[in-house]
Amino acid sequence: MLILENVWKEYVLDQETKFAALKNIDLTIKDGEFSSIIGPSGSGKSTLMHIIGLLDKPTKGKISFSGKDISRLDDNQTSTLRNEFVGFVFQQFNLINKLSILENIVLPAIYARKQLNFDPRQKAIRLMQQFGIAGKENSYPNKISGGQQQRVAIARALIMEPQLILADEPTGNLDTKSGEGIINLLSELNSKEKITVVVVTHDRHIAAKTKRVIKIIDGEIHK
Amino acid sequence: MINFSYLVFIIKSAFFDFSRNKVRTILTSLGILIGVFSVVLLMALGLGLKKYIEQQFQSLGQNLLMVLPGQGFSQNGGQGLIGGIQFDEKDVLKIKRLKNVQAIAPFFTKTLKIEYKNKSQITTLLATTGDAFKVIKVEAARGSLFTNADNEKSAKAVILGAEIANKLFGSGEKAVGEAVRIQKERFIVKGVLKKTGGGALGSETDMRAIIPFRSSYFLNPDKKFFAIYTEAKDAKSVLTLKDDIKKTLLKRYNEDDFTVSESSELLNTINSIFSVLNLVLVAIAAISLVVGGIGIMNIMYVSVTERIKEIGIRRAIGARKFDILYQFLSESVILSLFGGFLGLFFAGLIVLAVQRLFPAYLDFGSVFLALGVSSAIGIVFGVFPAKKAADLSPIDAIRYE
Ligand SMILES: Nc1ncnc2c1ncn2[C@@H]1O[C@H](COP(=O)(O)OP(=O)(O)O)[C@@H](O)[C@H]1O
Ligand SMILES: [Mg+2]
Repeated sequence: MLILENVWKEYVLDQETKFAALKNIDLTIKDGEFSSIIGPSGSGKSTLMHIIGLLDKPTKGKISFSGKDISRLDDNQTSTLRNEFVGFVFQQFNLINKLSILENIVLPAIYARKQLNFDPRQKAIRLMQQFGIAGKENSYPNKISGGQQQRVAIARALIMEPQLILADEPTGNLDTKSGEGIINLLSELNSKEKITVVVVTHDRHIAAKTKRVIKIIDGEIHK
Repeated sequence: MINFSYLVFIIKSAFFDFSRNKVRTILTSLGILIGVFSVVLLMALGLGLKKYIEQQFQSLGQNLLMVLPGQGFSQNGGQGLIGGIQFDEKDVLKIKRLKNVQAIAPFFTKTLKIEYKNKSQITTLLATTGDAFKVIKVEAARGSLFTNADNEKSAKAVILGAEIANKLFGSGEKAVGEAVRIQKERFIVKGVLKKTGGGALGSETDMRAIIPFRSSYFLNPDKKFFAIYTEAKDAKSVLTLKDDIKKTLLKRYNEDDFTVSESSELLNTINSIFSVLNLVLVAIAAISLVVGGIGIMNIMYVSVTERIKEIGIRRAIGARKFDILYQFLSESVILSLFGGFLGLFFAGLIVLAVQRLFPAYLDFGSVFLALGVSSAIGIVFGVFPAKKAADLSPIDAIRYE
């Protein structure tokens, strides 16, 4: 589904110094995979995830999505792809505190450009039931626990029925027990609903739960 | 593209931000509030002034021609009235003999003291004919008005305005039949006018004393008049009569010495003077709108900086640049419109409050303009901050702490 070929990400630090956060990345993520990207802090995991999720652009290299080259799309097209095909889950949950839980979950649907064949609110309520957070619809993100917030974030990532879920250290801000719950939930989404899931982590125990582990050190993939 | 739930959502989240920053929202809107308030109020007062002048003119006859010295009112405002010539009885007689004359009233005025027993009042005395009451449309509340015949007889009769009668006699009723002294001369009060509060003789109508001009020669030994008002028989003959009067007077005077104007002409002149004046005032008030707009721009920049992370989140889940632009632009427009509505509301209150004294009013145009201008300010001053928000790179925004 997703192929990265010879992808580089360089940051210009000053006139002379460039820093390569990603070096020559070749990576294929197949449909229905459940994989993890593991590496120490600063190794480029988040950068890679942002490039895969079209939130950031590589300095060099080619990315294809379902056979189409998507490395040269304009802002509207990448926004649409993020909206329809990708769901992000972040370490800091990244919910909008002034919106209710329900409004947070349906927010991607507000920005949808295609005709939806489902009712976003009903779907949100169904996801909340599925994730054990039913009844919190009109509550606000800072009124619920971290584990619950991350479930809300996953519901938000799923509302547009994406093909790919990208989770950047989804358990990083959670205690072991809630973290385990989140990983099990992602694993279930992959096995039952055939959604492709990529989890970024620096925790080997979490990586061990995925079917494929991609190691990254200093911006390079280690086979 | 923009569906209903999207709009509702945008407006809802704008209001949420406002309610979280109530003081800031109110202070920001205050600039627009003051701007819209002063512009709308000045427009309402301008409209009221126009209406007031028109009302005053309505009490003048429709087919009225005013013979005035100098340039009259028509060019340099009232300036032309100073200097110039004065008219005499010969002019009056000549004009009276012209065709199409329905009524004629020469005017002499003098400010003097009028006395009753031990009381006295200052008044601007008016000496004229019985026709004057037709021309300037005033009526008696008590007693009766003097006639042209009274004038021919040099009757020592005086008509008092409602207020001066009250001041001298306590009431209009008691005044009729009593004798007053005008510079030692005895005059009998024949009638008291209805209270007008204004009218053709200006705001002092209620303080006027009016006598037949033939009885006024002890005050006016040169037998001169400062103006002659003439009413034409009908609307069709106004212009013919105007020409005839000009021709008649040209035999004695130079063209620059006098003016014959129709009441409508005078109305137009006065209206155009006040319109220009009002426009200048409104333009000055509009400066505060610009200041208010800059306030909105400032706050919107602050708001963008405070919400970089939120913008990043929205972009990550698929918001386009346009969506972000639209969100911030809606907020600045709502903020500005909010100020506009309040400004309009307060101006409306003031207009209602002064309406008993002055016919100020809001028309659809000023309401439309106030709301249109506040939306426009919201757009113009909101577009730069909104553009800044929309142009943030999604990755920098979401990584922002
Ligand atoms: N905007 C940036 N400018 C310069 N360096 C950056 C920028 N973003 C990330 N980096 C650097 O790139 C490297 C990889 O960062 P990141 O992908 O966040 O690592 P990880 O998620 O594995 O901890 C780090 O050394 C980080 O400092
Ligand atoms: Mg990271």
